[in-house]
Amino acid sequence: MSTVTEKLEGMDVWIYHGQIYIPNRYSAGAVGSRFLIEIRDKKRIMGTRCPTCNRVYVPARSICKDCFGQLDELVEVSDKGTVLTYTVCNQPNPVQPVETPLVYGIVQLDGADTGFVHMLGEVDPEQLRIGMRVQAVFKEEREASILAIKYFKPLA
Amino acid sequence: MPNRVAIVGIGQTYHTTRRPDVNQPEMVAEAVRAALADAQLSIKDIEAVFSANMETFEGIFLPDHGMAAEIGAFNKPGFKVNTGGTTGGSAVVEGFYMVSSGLYDVAMVVGFEKQDCGDTTAAISAAATPMWGKGAATGAIGEFAKQALSYMETSGATEEHAAMVRLKADRNACRNPYAHLKLGLKSVDEVLQSPYLVWPLRILDFCPQSCGACVLILASENKAKKITKKPVWIADVEVVHQEPFRAGVFGDPTGKETYTQHVACERLYKRNGITNPRRDIDTAEIYEPSNWEEMNLYEHFHFCEKGEGWKLIEKGITEIEGEFPVNCSGGVLATNPIGATPIIRVAEAALQIRGDAGEHQATRDIKTALASALGGPNWTILTLLKRSL
Amino acid sequence: MAKASPKKKAKEKEPEYIHVKFDMPRRYNWSTGRHLGHFYAQAKENKKIVGNRCPQCKEIWVPPTLVCPKCKVEMGWDLVELPQTGTVYQYTYLVLPLWDPHYGEKWANPYPSATILLDNGVFYRHRLEDTDKDKLKVGTRVQAVWKEDYEERGEGPADILYFKEIGK
Repeated sequence: MSTVTEKLEGMDVWIYHGQIYIPNRYSAGAVGSRFLIEIRDKKRIMGTRCPTCNRVYVPARSICKDCFGQLDELVEVSDKGTVLTYTVCNQPNPVQPVETPLVYGIVQLDGADTGFVHMLGEVDPEQLRIGMRVQAVFKEEREASILAIKYFKPLA
Repeated sequence: MPNRVAIVGIGQTYHTTRRPDVNQPEMVAEAVRAALADAQLSIKDIEAVFSANMETFEGIFLPDHGMAAEIGAFNKPGFKVNTGGTTGGSAVVEGFYMVSSGLYDVAMVVGFEKQDCGDTTAAISAAATPMWGKGAATGAIGEFAKQALSYMETSGATEEHAAMVRLKADRNACRNPYAHLKLGLKSVDEVLQSPYLVWPLRILDFCPQSCGACVLILASENKAKKITKKPVWIADVEVVHQEPFRAGVFGDPTGKETYTQHVACERLYKRNGITNPRRDIDTAEIYEPSNWEEMNLYEHFHFCEKGEGWKLIEKGITEIEGEFPVNCSGGVLATNPIGATPIIRVAEAALQIRGDAGEHQATRDIKTALASALGGPNWTILTLLKRSL
Repeated sequence: MAKASPKKKAKEKEPEYIHVKFDMPRRYNWSTGRHLGHFYAQAKENKKIVGNRCPQCKEIWVPPTLVCPKCKVEMGWDLVELPQTGTVYQYTYLVLPLWDPHYGEKWANPYPSATILLDNGVFYRHRLEDTDKDKLKVGTRVQAVWKEDYEERGEGPADILYFKEIGK
């Protein structure tokens, strides 16, 4: 993209239409990598369990926020869960992974103690409700990415 | 009279080019655990956490939001600071203010950068006003290149002297278990064979891009004496900023430009009765992004007369065994995880005072040490450390 | 204590680590404001470099600014046209290509970037003509070369293509 400078009508003020574009990569780390690889290779969703606080974090993380303990114990959680809350987004934006209308949800998977942010699909926005039971739908072609889960769909 | 503040815990990760085995928060946690172990404290003893990071260098805005747990800041006061190159120094000063004010008794200062995640020079270039357009994209390197040229033209220093600065840094880094670049360089010629990056700076004239974190635990006088037998006192700090992105010139011998280093050290020296820095201070950990800047900073901080910085290197005065050792850790030339870099300066200076630097402990006894931070367009932060007040 | 740098081990296979790539241009609209806007206007309309003079310390700041960085007083509109000739004071040039965040590409800038001491004693940062780098010298006399096409001007400092050695 090139940049353009434009003079404001009737004023000695100029506007520079620019961009900042830098290639970045985020290291998932050892635990984060395991989490993404399990989704890609085995369609399994993993969490980590804090033995001190007896809590399972999903997505898997390596440090407990309450006790600062190092979490080494990876546990598989269910691909089914309960919608804690949701929102319907109608305003398109380049950062969105799919086209609008797009439904974001926070899902507590069975066996997890935390909410997991993802998209909800195969659902009429009118029929959404808190407490709804949902299940993960995985993409056929999967990369090691959170978007290898296509969305969560309502359980029949 | 503000409360006295001591460094009671020091921790850092090893520093390296790539850390794919950890994400950014996990890397920081390693340094936090090291500092807690050093102070023999638990995370519950830490009342507030102040973090330092060059936001967007890893492409993430508000990185502190994603790591409260990992830096031990969950449900605690504190905030992140970002002042460019001086970021880590600002966080140390911030922690010092908070403890000296009496607001907290034990505070933690956390600095980090994971440069395998982004493009640092691009990020620095993006901080320049867009009006200068295409070609301003040399980040900090271009500035230090021009400074090097001016220094060469006016002081009589040669490329060989710059190479000797790298050799000193490398010898020291090889003795430091946490340092990043450990090249085992043997001769000036090896440095002079390294290719140009931005003329006249060679790759070995400039600091690396490192992944790493450094943590300090600060405590008030009463607490400090209970926590450790070897508190290192922060005797004084000084912060000087100046107008950014004017046609300011690094290394300007015309005297037109104001150097924040001059302003900062003159104030700090005056308050602390330092009349001859090389006699009154025992060592310095300075923020030298390039070989040339180290010689320049010797002069700015009055370790020698103007135009004579290169003579200190030539005579070996600033070597680890020398009369006035500078950067026994290997310095920024060896290790540069940007947000952590100025904290490492303070941490390494404190280790020298404690006598805990191990293989890179200076030969002479260190009772007083100066740590500097440099950033932005010529910003300076100084921290003066003492074994006893 | 934290782990020290690991010793390089022979051929130990690293487990698979994931790096999530995220590349997205972030757009912005940056306003020059009136003082800097005047600099843009003078460059486009008259091919002039302008600064303004501080009413207190009399120092000239370029580009024009609202507040004197030294005296912290309002600068006002004492505009000064700057000479377009000067002396190369410092210069450098890129050897390795670097990523340019404003353009989203890796770019080996062929133009040396320089600090030029204009003939009225003001420092000005710009670039030099793309010529033989070995012939560059501190002290070279240079002059601004403007974009001739009126329509192409309007980009402030970039309305000057480069500074060129005088007498060439």
